[in-house]
Amino acid sequence: MTAIILQVVVSGLLLGGIYALVSVGLTLIFGVSRIKNFAHGDLVMVGMYVTYALASATKLDPYLLAPLVVVLLFAFGLFLSFALIRPIQGAPQVAQIFATVGLGLVLQNLALMIFGADFRSTASVVSGKVLRFAGLALPASLLIAFLVAMAVIGGLTAFLRLSLTGKAMRAIAQDRRAASLMSIDVKRIDMLTFGLGAACAGLAGALLAPVYPVFPTIGVNLVLVCFVVVVLGGLGSVEGALIGGLLIGLVETLSGFFLGSAMSQIAYFLVFIAVLCLRPAGLFGQRGSETLGS
Amino acid sequence: MARMLDRFAPLALLLFVLPLFAPLFVSDSYTLHFIWKILFWAALASAWNLAGGYAGQFSLGHAAFFGIGAYTSVLLYLKLGISPWLGMFVGGILAVGFALLIGALTLRLRGAFFALATIAFAEVLRIAVVNLRDLTGGAEGLSVPFAPGLANMMFSGRAGSVVLMAALLLVIALVTFAVERSRLGYALAALKEDEEAAEALGVDTIRAKLISIALSAFVSALGGTAYAFYILLIEPSTVLSIGMSVEMALMAIIGGMGTVLGPAIGAILIVPLSEYLRAEFAGTFQGLYLLVYGAILILMVMFMPNGLMSVVRDPRGTMRRLKRRRRPARGRNGDA
Repeated sequence: MTAIILQVVVSGLLLGGIYALVSVGLTLIFGVSRIKNFAHGDLVMVGMYVTYALASATKLDPYLLAPLVVVLLFAFGLFLSFALIRPIQGAPQVAQIFATVGLGLVLQNLALMIFGADFRSTASVVSGKVLRFAGLALPASLLIAFLVAMAVIGGLTAFLRLSLTGKAMRAIAQDRRAASLMSIDVKRIDMLTFGLGAACAGLAGALLAPVYPVFPTIGVNLVLVCFVVVVLGGLGSVEGALIGGLLIGLVETLSGFFLGSAMSQIAYFLVFIAVLCLRPAGLFGQRGSETLGS
Repeated sequence: MARMLDRFAPLALLLFVLPLFAPLFVSDSYTLHFIWKILFWAALASAWNLAGGYAGQFSLGHAAFFGIGAYTSVLLYLKLGISPWLGMFVGGILAVGFALLIGALTLRLRGAFFALATIAFAEVLRIAVVNLRDLTGGAEGLSVPFAPGLANMMFSGRAGSVVLMAALLLVIALVTFAVERSRLGYALAALKEDEEAAEALGVDTIRAKLISIALSAFVSALGGTAYAFYILLIEPSTVLSIGMSVEMALMAIIGGMGTVLGPAIGAILIVPLSEYLRAEFAGTFQGLYLLVYGAILILMVMFMPNGLMSVVRDPRGTMRRLKRRRRPARGRNGDA
């Protein structure tokens, strides 16, 4: 029994690592630019489809293509930031919410028109390989995603703490006006942040492609999990996204194991509602971020 | 211009009476279905507008209220033989209960956080309905056997359903009109503009918000019943989907939130467009109409956040704003 529970916990942590990776871009964009990107899951979907398309065109392994996907999504993020996000900065509330909702609709249906509604899976050499370690089964593709997620989150944390650009991002996150008075180019950093967030979504997409089949509305499921993770961990906190992701992964697998699969879907929404009601700033939220809902 | 329009607003209400007589002039079944669709979306967008437009509570979970209305009346009809005319009010009351629960739990949340919380509630409901297979028929949903009769809210021709939907739209428009001109309407206008200031002036913002979302939920649920007994099939993947919630909001935003006519105008423009796109590109590009929806939504909120009604109310101001758009927006401190 304990062996099974240990296995469930490990699976939960692996799943949580993926959730953390998917969520880290969302939390970064929110923290710095205060943009609630309802299309974040759809950016992951775009990453998955780009990986799928590149892998089927070049016959290369999806993992080798991941850097290219990241670069493409970074560029796409810069474009979106320029064309869509910058105009809605400081715009009325309705624009801030529904512009990215509209972007999500556009991306989902563009994918539907190009690839159709079928599930598409991207095969890799590690697909189906399972590592066995002390009686635990670790699917190789999940393990890779988990390890990369940890590396990326570690790298991002270091980047935010050590580099000048990262410090500028943190300064903007704390006080946008004061940062602009300190001659930080707020618009450039906003754009860079959105690009970086989209690149994280792209990386998540590339790593998810060999794990899950992709379909046009997969982003809708993902973005909800992302927001649960990010609100739980604290909007704007990279460490929070990691902890939140791992917790939600555990909640999902443990509730699935003990209460059945239907409950596991409901469980994280219930956690979400509880967090929103009890502590909207999340576990590691920035000072006062609970009032930033507006 | 704006003031003149406001003075003639009661006349605008007459526009909502006209569809009641549509079946006198149209008998073609396809056209009647088309009119029903426009009226349906106009009614749902107007229902969303009561909370989203007037109180600024941008819900993305209105499908929950709609679905509660649909499922309650259908279940009461199928299992207990209770007429949908009664069932629709039971559904309405249950939806109000759900709305007050959401409202009470999410009072502190604003804007995007409120939208997220409403999505979460609606998803919990959808997953519950999918899994309570014995009661709700699960993912396959419930179908209503066709038994025409006034008591069953089912009509042998489409004219009856069109009149019913037109009446519902008229009721929602009257409620909206009454709210707009009441003390509650002024309270909502104040809290939408600036919640802290409204509170400081003695507006009971919590009460105003709860009333607006309860009203909105009630009429959304009535729409759910009318839908269920016309379409005769309810599935969680349509009546409880996020897509449903988004479309309700989208019509209202495009037409113009916080106005009586706006949501109807949105439906009048968007439904024919979607019908055309669906008919024209059904085989080749199946998602095209939703893609166009998304693009229109983006353009509207970027360039005309007050919807098409703002052109009617204040054409010069809108033109001025469109021109000014080019200049970079002065950054306030975040969006807080």
